[in-house]
Amino acid sequence: MALLTAKPSARRQGFELAMMSPALFLLALITLVPFFSIIWMSFNDVSLMGGLTFEFSGLDNWQRVFTDPDIRSSWLISLFYFLATVGLEMILGTVMALLVYSLTRGSNIIISLLLIPMFIAPVIVGLLGRFMLDPSHGLYAWLLNETGLFDGNILGSVGPAMVAVILMDVWEWTPLVALIVLAGLASVPEDILEAAEMDGAQYGQKLLYIILPSISNILLVALLIRAMDAIRFFAIIFITTNGGPADSTKIIPIRLYDIAFRFFDLGYAAAVGITMLAFSILVANAFMKLLKRQEKRS
Amino acid sequence: MTAPKRWLSLTVKIVLLTLLLLWTLVPIVWMVLSSFKPNSVITANTPRVFFTPTLEHYASLFSGGNSLWPYLMNSLLIAGVSTLIAVVLGCMSGFGLSRIRIKGKQHLAFWIISTRMAPIAAVIVPLYLLFRYLYLLDTHVGLIVAYLSFNLPFAIWLMTAFFDDLPPDLEEAAMIDGATKFQAFRYVVLPLMTPGLVTTAILCFIFAWNDYAFAQTFSGPSTQTIPIAAAQLLTQTGIDWGKLLAIGTIVVCPMAIAGLLVKRWLVQGLTMGAVK
Repeated sequence: MALLTAKPSARRQGFELAMMSPALFLLALITLVPFFSIIWMSFNDVSLMGGLTFEFSGLDNWQRVFTDPDIRSSWLISLFYFLATVGLEMILGTVMALLVYSLTRGSNIIISLLLIPMFIAPVIVGLLGRFMLDPSHGLYAWLLNETGLFDGNILGSVGPAMVAVILMDVWEWTPLVALIVLAGLASVPEDILEAAEMDGAQYGQKLLYIILPSISNILLVALLIRAMDAIRFFAIIFITTNGGPADSTKIIPIRLYDIAFRFFDLGYAAAVGITMLAFSILVANAFMKLLKRQEKRS
Repeated sequence: MTAPKRWLSLTVKIVLLTLLLLWTLVPIVWMVLSSFKPNSVITANTPRVFFTPTLEHYASLFSGGNSLWPYLMNSLLIAGVSTLIAVVLGCMSGFGLSRIRIKGKQHLAFWIISTRMAPIAAVIVPLYLLFRYLYLLDTHVGLIVAYLSFNLPFAIWLMTAFFDDLPPDLEEAAMIDGATKFQAFRYVVLPLMTPGLVTTAILCFIFAWNDYAFAQTFSGPSTQTIPIAAAQLLTQTGIDWGKLLAIGTIVVCPMAIAGLLVKRWLVQGLTMGAVK
């Protein structure tokens, strides 16, 4: 669309346009076609039972999205899951970064080791979680049992299962927050820190009044990146509890997947999918605003 | 006077760091270690650190009826091709987007970032229907297209950020010396872009290699990738942990090494250029 509104000077930008076009054309093809399809699907009864059938059903799916108690409870579970994972990741990640930053030696090797989890496929994180928590021969299950903290099937109990899938996500993504915050810490004004130290400031004071304010933008970037990925990925829960026990970990992507590929109600799944898309567009919008603010600053 | 306090904070620091390192590394080390344990040790009632290592799990993965080879080849092919397409097109497009001056560039950028952020579960639904109509289920092309839906916007966005960092003076100087725009791009700009290209390529490859949801939905007997092989073993009754941990090790190790190779540009890559 932007190409059509180009200024006359665009004529001399033929090379740039030619370079841009192939990727944008392909992207439009593989994203806009699905985008319009999902909207059309949401107004239809699309069933896979006994062959694919399409039947216009007006606002039926949309009415269900806003009245279905299962959907509401899944959004609530998602909300709790997002707040817990992203919150813990932000706090732990910041602590991790501050610790590594304060090292005078060996910080390079230590941060490298700490980063490893985020390269691991979420499905393997889930697999590993199941292995560590396996009631009969998991290392963590054994430790919890020996110390008397918990004995039983962790992933099979309402409550502990939620804690476990949250901690798996935290395990995988805290390093990403730490990495981002660490990059921000490099921009903390060294001279002001020294001056504060001369004046006898405690570490807590320096943290609160100098370090945290100067990395607030970076913290926001980390928060948005995590918020967006928290709704994108669902493989960890998919492979460990698949929403159970008793739907206690059924976050919205898992619910959607169930609706689409267990009950084959694709039209309804499309409507749920659009509400998820709306959420991610809000996050993308916040991200763009933040980028603009940063550009102005630099 | 401040010496005792320093010492205290140093102890706190060491304790905290040790805890964080243990929290992070124990599962990984335990996975790799256990993949070399004989089954009797893995399923023992108490965890054991010392044992006679065996390669039996790795050997059994690559022999017999359900060998891991086809899964590995599918993963390499699908992740490789989608990465190649994303990086080549993303590089061209990133240069164009970085240098062009048009109205509405913000909207274009917003559209690109939104496609990248779209939740996978929501993208799966229409893609499944389209792939069914187009006979793309259980094909390599289908999965390549599915991975391009997140890797292409990622590559465009990230390469734009890398080109933005490079002042246009260089190309302009080359053009004053008589180079065409294409020559300036090809011989002046592109050689300076190696870190950007390598970072983008490695991250795209990791995203595609690590995917489970798309592969689970769109792949069939002839296109299953390694994460699917792992999931299949996991859903069986009587899980063969030795084999599974060996697969886990095979999936994880190359990606961890590749990721750490581009550590310097990782922040820029994973925040899509928002942090440098």
